[in-house]
Amino acid sequence: MATHPTQYAHPEALVETDWLEKHLKDDGIRIVESNEDVLLYDTGHIPGAVHIDWRADLQDPVIRDYITPEKFAELCSKNGITPETTCIFYGDKANWWACYALWAFRLFGHEKVKILNGGRDKWKAEQRPMTRDVPKYPKTNYPMPKKRFDKEIRAFADEALAQSEAGKPLIDVRSPGEYKGEITHMPEYPQEGVLRGGHIPKAKSMPWKTATNDDATFKPASDLAKIYFDQCGVKPDTDTVVYCRIGERSSHTWFVLTYLLGLDNVRNYDGSWTEWGNKVGAPIEKGA
Amino acid sequence: MSKGCGKLDESGAAEVRSDGTYPVKLNKIINLFESLPEDERRETLVSYADNAKKQEPREGESFNLVDVRKDEECMDTVGVYLHVEENGKAHIRMTLGPEVQTLTRAMTAVLCKGLEGSTPQEILDLPSDFVTRIVGAELVRIRSQTIYYVLTRIKSICKVYLDRQRMAQVA
Repeated sequence: MATHPTQYAHPEALVETDWLEKHLKDDGIRIVESNEDVLLYDTGHIPGAVHIDWRADLQDPVIRDYITPEKFAELCSKNGITPETTCIFYGDKANWWACYALWAFRLFGHEKVKILNGGRDKWKAEQRPMTRDVPKYPKTNYPMPKKRFDKEIRAFADEALAQSEAGKPLIDVRSPGEYKGEITHMPEYPQEGVLRGGHIPKAKSMPWKTATNDDATFKPASDLAKIYFDQCGVKPDTDTVVYCRIGERSSHTWFVLTYLLGLDNVRNYDGSWTEWGNKVGAPIEKGA
Repeated sequence: MSKGCGKLDESGAAEVRSDGTYPVKLNKIINLFESLPEDERRETLVSYADNAKKQEPREGESFNLVDVRKDEECMDTVGVYLHVEENGKAHIRMTLGPEVQTLTRAMTAVLCKGLEGSTPQEILDLPSDFVTRIVGAELVRIRSQTIYYVLTRIKSICKVYLDRQRMAQVA
């Protein structure tokens, strides 16, 4: 039986709430809030935090894709971020959108990224300071990224299909009902259905939430290793693809595999089930 | 008596329409939001969301119908409380669980204020197209569709009320 790690591969990718409260005014960091609730930041946020909206700021306004490198440079410059700035992401829904924003920053090659363990809910539950003051930072001149790292950390439908056909690790992080094809939408969101239910053939079901504790913090490394290495068949030397419905829950799992377990080749299929479940001719398996 | 461009309903009890579509109070709120630039619209929505708590039932109030439940469409429990006066005017109170989204909270306050004094039938007949005029196109998107949920719940309780009224008349 393989020995499992007792520590995260990159513990520096997480900050705890206690640490952050003591370092709110540190130079070289930028706290970034990203939420599903579009007005949540406006109701109060961690002092000094800027708001990056997963839809309005990170996605192209017309076609289903991310912003251009030029727009990413503008976004960072507007928020006083340089390539040397350590961006600490946090948000609602156990950090779904924080992980999504972090992943998008990595798409553009921004390397200094961290997640606030437990996210917004933990910060608030601990009654740490919140404010409605929107900070203003001197504009920076973030250089336009030379490329987007789609090939390295993003998978497209044909690549997800190839992963399935090759029998390589492919993890469906949606709820069991979505995976089995019993429902064509995410629990709590019946208005967001797709045409077909089920999962990509050979994908293993491992809901994103399996990686977290009740307070939205991440489980210990040894637990994560059991979940993904033992139960999902993920191997450090094999590339892995994760997916959900629109790519946010799978960003959470992507973060776990990449930063907490230290896998080098994990890609997020962000087209996910909204693409696959609507795609003509896409192979689908139903049931457990 | 009718005031402004509003008109009386069939019972002559309430001024309900300003433009043939929306109740007067709701229409004023719609006009307010449509006049605001995007940043002020957001601020005003947050302000309404802050006031959602004030729409909860108050001590001593009684209701014809109470409907408290957690539906799949919404993140948390939502309670709707309906009181209808003898003249047919409806008063709505609402309770929201802590996980309910900010936009949904805002729409709760908008609807409780905007529909105050309308009849259950007028509420039931209300089209939902005004929601985007209040919220703005940018915020109506995937993962914010619960903005329609509160209106659906209010209409639902009004329908139950009217159905029971009709059954009572038949009996």
